[in-house]
Amino acid sequence: MQRAPLSLAVTACAALFATSAGSLVSGGARADNGNFTVSGKIYSKWLYRNNDKAGVVSLGNPFWPDNISGDNGVASELELNILGKVGEHIQAGARVQSRFGGVWQDWWENGDIAYDAENTSGESLGMNRATYMKLRGYWIHAELPICFVDDVLIGASDFGMFNAWTIGKVRYIDRDNGKGIFVNGTIDEEYLKYTAAVIALPKLWVGPNWSTGVGDPLVRLPFYSQDWAYALKLTSRPLDGFTLTLISTVTADAEIDLTDPDAVGSENPTCTDELGNPIPGCAKNGAVDWTNRYTNSVTTLEGQIDSWDGGSFNFIGGLSYQSINEKVTGNGVLLNNGVFPMVYDPSMFGYFARARAEFFDISENLNLQLEYFNIGETFQTIFGARRETDVLLTDGFIEGGQIPTLNSANEFVDFDEAWYETIIGWHGGTAILAYKSDLELSLEGTFITYNTNKQNRDVETKFPDFLHSEGYTDTDLYDYANVYDRGRDPRSVYRKDQDRMSAIAVLSGLWHTGFGKELDIGFKVKFIYDKDKRSTTTSDDDYLGLISTNRLWVSMVPADGLKLTVGTQFDWWDEENRRGTLEQGYGDDTTLKVRPWFDLNYSYEGLTLRYRLEYFHKDAQRERDTDRLFDVIRSKASVEVGW
Amino acid sequence: MKRSLTSALAGALVTVAVPALAAEVVLKDPKGDDKGPGTYTYPTDAVYTKGSFDLTEAKLEEDGDSIKVTVELNAKIEDPWDSKAWGGNGFSTQMVFIFIDTDHKAGSGHEDGLAGLNIKFAPESAWDKALIISAQGNARVQSEVNAKAAAVKADIVLPSAVKAQGKKLVARFPKSKVGALAAGFGYQVVVQSNEGFPDKTDLLTRKVNEYGGQHRFGGGNDYDCDPHAIDILAGKAKGEATEAKAQFDMLGTFTCDAKGGGKRAVLQMVYPE
Repeated sequence: MQRAPLSLAVTACAALFATSAGSLVSGGARADNGNFTVSGKIYSKWLYRNNDKAGVVSLGNPFWPDNISGDNGVASELELNILGKVGEHIQAGARVQSRFGGVWQDWWENGDIAYDAENTSGESLGMNRATYMKLRGYWIHAELPICFVDDVLIGASDFGMFNAWTIGKVRYIDRDNGKGIFVNGTIDEEYLKYTAAVIALPKLWVGPNWSTGVGDPLVRLPFYSQDWAYALKLTSRPLDGFTLTLISTVTADAEIDLTDPDAVGSENPTCTDELGNPIPGCAKNGAVDWTNRYTNSVTTLEGQIDSWDGGSFNFIGGLSYQSINEKVTGNGVLLNNGVFPMVYDPSMFGYFARARAEFFDISENLNLQLEYFNIGETFQTIFGARRETDVLLTDGFIEGGQIPTLNSANEFVDFDEAWYETIIGWHGGTAILAYKSDLELSLEGTFITYNTNKQNRDVETKFPDFLHSEGYTDTDLYDYANVYDRGRDPRSVYRKDQDRMSAIAVLSGLWHTGFGKELDIGFKVKFIYDKDKRSTTTSDDDYLGLISTNRLWVSMVPADGLKLTVGTQFDWWDEENRRGTLEQGYGDDTTLKVRPWFDLNYSYEGLTLRYRLEYFHKDAQRERDTDRLFDVIRSKASVEVGW
Repeated sequence: MKRSLTSALAGALVTVAVPALAAEVVLKDPKGDDKGPGTYTYPTDAVYTKGSFDLTEAKLEEDGDSIKVTVELNAKIEDPWDSKAWGGNGFSTQMVFIFIDTDHKAGSGHEDGLAGLNIKFAPESAWDKALIISAQGNARVQSEVNAKAAAVKADIVLPSAVKAQGKKLVARFPKSKVGALAAGFGYQVVVQSNEGFPDKTDLLTRKVNEYGGQHRFGGGNDYDCDPHAIDILAGKAKGEATEAKAQFDMLGTFTCDAKGGGKRAVLQMVYPE
């Protein structure tokens, strides 16, 4: 492709500047709603489980218990999206949505905090159950007549323009919560485009101890209104079918410097020490200094090659750096039993690399995917994708996806939603052979070693182990306090003693039979071999997990818009030395899980109905603990309309 | 052996004046014409990557009991909305309509395009079959077809399997519903975008407005008088640069009056030689 030199781009830019400011509206704006459109959604959800917990979210906030979590209830929400046209090149929008959590039985509730004694007034003191309308997001989008600037977004964004390794796209329920200023521009249409952004840090999860100071024992006066992330993305297509993308981000959490005598609550208000002597360099000047609490910088370079019909190639590599100011950052590894979203290291570098090749039609309808991944044990991205993304090809240990941060978000989910596991330290490769015709077959093989393999790792004061790091993870019956012995926390990548390797094999298939009403038959067979010698000084603690998960299902479309699925899952876990200590000994556990389920999906015009009913049987035979038996029946239904 | 027998039978049928079979049809389209009538712009959200609605080639071929359709775009096809989570087909933002005219005769077939595309076909190019490649699963698409294209639903065919493969969408349609590909057939391919919450008049298609938005194409008209087609075939579908202008001209045949009425853009089929 012949491309215009950069000088022509500059000339064109000047011409744009000259004409666009005075250009007229040439298209057609609707007279009735020319500058104001509204769209809406109503979403209702029913949860049922044979237990005694009322609420409408299967797994809620693990730290500050909320009052909307539970397994039995029905709740609804209303969403209104407003789009306004301010001018020819200026738009604005907002999303207003009701707070989710008030159940249908809350006829008169306008709050969640009750009076000490029960009363029937209908009055309450808090707001969670009031389903109040909240301004979730608002934005202004402007195409300004400025050279090399295409458009500017001021306000809400889901950050989808970066990548999972740097600033990840935020989860769907938070899609308008993030705010910033985003500038997109073009230096040359093919050779260089850019996005620059300044983003306000969410005060409650991007930082040490999931905060930018709030709740930190070493921060007396949290100062979160000057916490920002800065990002620059450069994209170039130097050749047809070859794209290079460089993203560099800095996340900076600032606090008040309490040694400054002008600061409220200063440690040196009089600039004298405890003996009354003047502190050198200390003087009031009517200004207050700030100090960095936490800084994290991540840079990635990605190349995508699509110039060959026979395949596609992608590589991405990155470096990270974090800086912790120990004076204003409590050590959550030490203070919070290892539940902390980062390594407590005041100065730490990290790296990762991933290379992927896809070969199309190596035989008729047969594709091959190959991937190599190497995630350093100290790679750190505090603002990376927390869920709803998947950076590796492998099916992984738990279904859902793999994410590159310890800062994952597996809360505020229902029992049927996907889980995400942290891949810090993973080093290995995946091969997937996929056949797709009326019969779909996929065979995966993955081998993983771990950059985190180490003996006598400091998990008391430096590396977070998330308290629960033993045994295969059961996402079907997960609770943060681990009262169900649900196994390893998906974030637990550091252990005191680890010498681990794993292998994953998955065979799945779907046969579009063509019989009857779109009768499909699917299956998935997965086997995990997971070996961890733990301490290399003895074999008494060696862990060996042989995990088998198997599914079979049949689906059909008996009527237009209606899809029914019946399936069953059968799991068998055989784990040697699943839990225990060297001093007290380890126990061999086996787990049987059987889970038949029924799914219904129905669409009619703008209405969508989803329903899942499942029976869940789990029999955990535990050598050193009391055996556990679960017989759970649960269901989830949702109805959504949009207009 | 089976295929040889089929060919032999086909040859025999030709001798009794039945249209000749065209086991493979390749239709090319120039790059960079993903602008509808020449003015359309992509939505501003990052998921609508450059070239992801830019048609470069469509291939239809008979493959056993299926008609295999391969649509190539000018960007790798991604799945930013995790389509498997909502019963989708492994991609998120694209939607492609393949219209087939089996007889090239005026008065036969359907002149109106499908809901949401806001196009018509010339009388001699009226379509007889429409094949839909959607990011949505068939149950959802069929529901939309019933609601918004009930009068022509017998001539709409949904795929038995769909996959995204690099820059290509590959779909298999039951030959029993499409029919064999024959010489003289006309084809038109319309690239649109999958809209999960479509307007009541749109068959899962994304709107084109006067000014683009986060999830709206721009450069058109806020009424539904403009064609909501981002890229189509034009000329002889050889991929020549002149076909871009031919497309712009063809999609630019619409008119809009002050109240949103007007005349639909009229499309011609491509009849491979």
